[in-house]
Amino acid sequence: MAEQDEIKVNVKNLNFYYGNYHLLKNINLYFKKNSVCTLLGPSGCGKSTFLRTLNRMNDYTEGAKLTGEVLIDGKNIYDKSVDVVELRRNIGMVFQSPNPFPKSIFDNIAFGLKIHGIKNREFIAERVEKCLRYAGLYDEVKDKLHKSAFSLSGGQQQRLCIARAIATNPSILLMDEPTAYLDPASASIILDLITTFKKYYTIIIVSHNIQQAGRISDYSGFFLDGELIEFDEAGNFFTRPKDKRTENFITSRY
Amino acid sequence: MAELANIKKDDDPMPVFPINRGYIKRKKFYNGIAVFLAVMAFIIGAFPVFHIIYKAVALGHEYLNWRFISTLPTGFPIGAQGGILNAIIGDVYLVVIASIFAVPLGIGSGLYLSLFGKKRTNTFLRLLNELMIGIPSVVWGIVGFYVFSTNAGLGFHFGFSALAGGLTLGFIMTPIIALLTEQAINRIPSGYIEGALAMGATKWQATKSVIIKAALGGIFTGILLGIMNIIGQTAPLLFTNYYNTGMPTGITGPGGAVGDLAMLIFIYIHEPSKILHVKAEAASVVLLCFIFAIDLGLRLINYLTRKFL
Repeated sequence: MAEQDEIKVNVKNLNFYYGNYHLLKNINLYFKKNSVCTLLGPSGCGKSTFLRTLNRMNDYTEGAKLTGEVLIDGKNIYDKSVDVVELRRNIGMVFQSPNPFPKSIFDNIAFGLKIHGIKNREFIAERVEKCLRYAGLYDEVKDKLHKSAFSLSGGQQQRLCIARAIATNPSILLMDEPTAYLDPASASIILDLITTFKKYYTIIIVSHNIQQAGRISDYSGFFLDGELIEFDEAGNFFTRPKDKRTENFITSRY
Repeated sequence: MAELANIKKDDDPMPVFPINRGYIKRKKFYNGIAVFLAVMAFIIGAFPVFHIIYKAVALGHEYLNWRFISTLPTGFPIGAQGGILNAIIGDVYLVVIASIFAVPLGIGSGLYLSLFGKKRTNTFLRLLNELMIGIPSVVWGIVGFYVFSTNAGLGFHFGFSALAGGLTLGFIMTPIIALLTEQAINRIPSGYIEGALAMGATKWQATKSVIIKAALGGIFTGILLGIMNIIGQTAPLLFTNYYNTGMPTGITGPGGAVGDLAMLIFIYIHEPSKILHVKAEAASVVLLCFIFAIDLGLRLINYLTRKFL
């Protein structure tokens, strides 16, 4: 067990139901501060659903029911006193397919500040630039900040979404297969970003791609049919998996 | 992989089947028939439209000038001299009043159906909305008459007026806008909404600054389709506004009634006067031009939203 203050997210006895369907079965794991953790598993194993329980994106799904606890900095996010809006400000999320808003590049990032009541233009402009620099996109887009975000390539759009996700000063980044729709070169840029982002954020990534996961992970978990089969340090996970099913998966036998 | 290799090794090569020349001829013949029927269907369907336009222009062309659309009807029977300005101004009144009522209500209903409502209630509400679209306009006329024109309903007692007529037309417009708004929002990639929510936006913030913008093209289509629908209506106006040969002095009570192109055509055709019949044809052309202009606007909006959003 890691030191208590090193733990950023602690998931205890998490069960998730959709109607009568038991989607996540008694999940227990924790994520350490400033680490990259990848969650692997075949399609439909519940890893994306799990990721979405961490920022309560399943709240709007009708017929969804959840038991157990998700502690972020020691506080259960499913507690009645927790404000979902404030919670999500603290947790950035990047989705599978790049989903910039139909706005300019600048406004895509400024949106995150505006919805939290920031009106100071200078502050917003400064923050937009900083986010773009963090995401390694600034030099590519500095001359067309006020052009539509759709004018960017897929890889650039995904980096814009990352820049957007960090605009609100989150401490956690959730990524749902962020490189799934990208070409290898763009994917590689994003993987490098993730590695440098470790300094600032606790990063949790859902992935299909075992090779990419192996390249960036500090920790890895394997989901199968809604169960967490194995969770370990990446070194052990990829080279000496304890469970036969994990081994089958990482050697591509699923 | 293993199974695939086995098939190749053990089975005979696939036998070549003979080509049936007769069948190839026949299938080309059937193809020709299908194309012929489709073309005929189009011609039969489109013929009335072109015929109406041709007839209206041929019969009414002598009045198709600026004077006709810029002067009020005079003479005896009224309309024998002068133009149809009363009806054009009246249509503007009616469309504006109907839109003020129906646009916020329709968009709001559409937003509720697509974003805020619960699944089960939504299924029922959607059914209700479609039912509302299907209600014959004459029924809306009666509803409008009781609710707005008389003091028997909710006590509005607007009389036969632009307000009563416009609001009744608004009833017809609202479900159309609601349906189109809902469809437009459902077409938006879920990533927009989820992306905004995941950043800590409330549903309303996401709606206001992302969703409505992305759905704007569809919403405008709904509004313009609604206007196209009501601009040709007569039945709802029969009991709520009827017709005014002059300019309205207000929008309620006596003097609040306005002219209307569709009503003008309806009334002129019923008059035993050759001149009025011809003027009705000319007015039809003007009405068609309005609808055509709205349709062009609709296409322009669709084009612009696709290009710039």
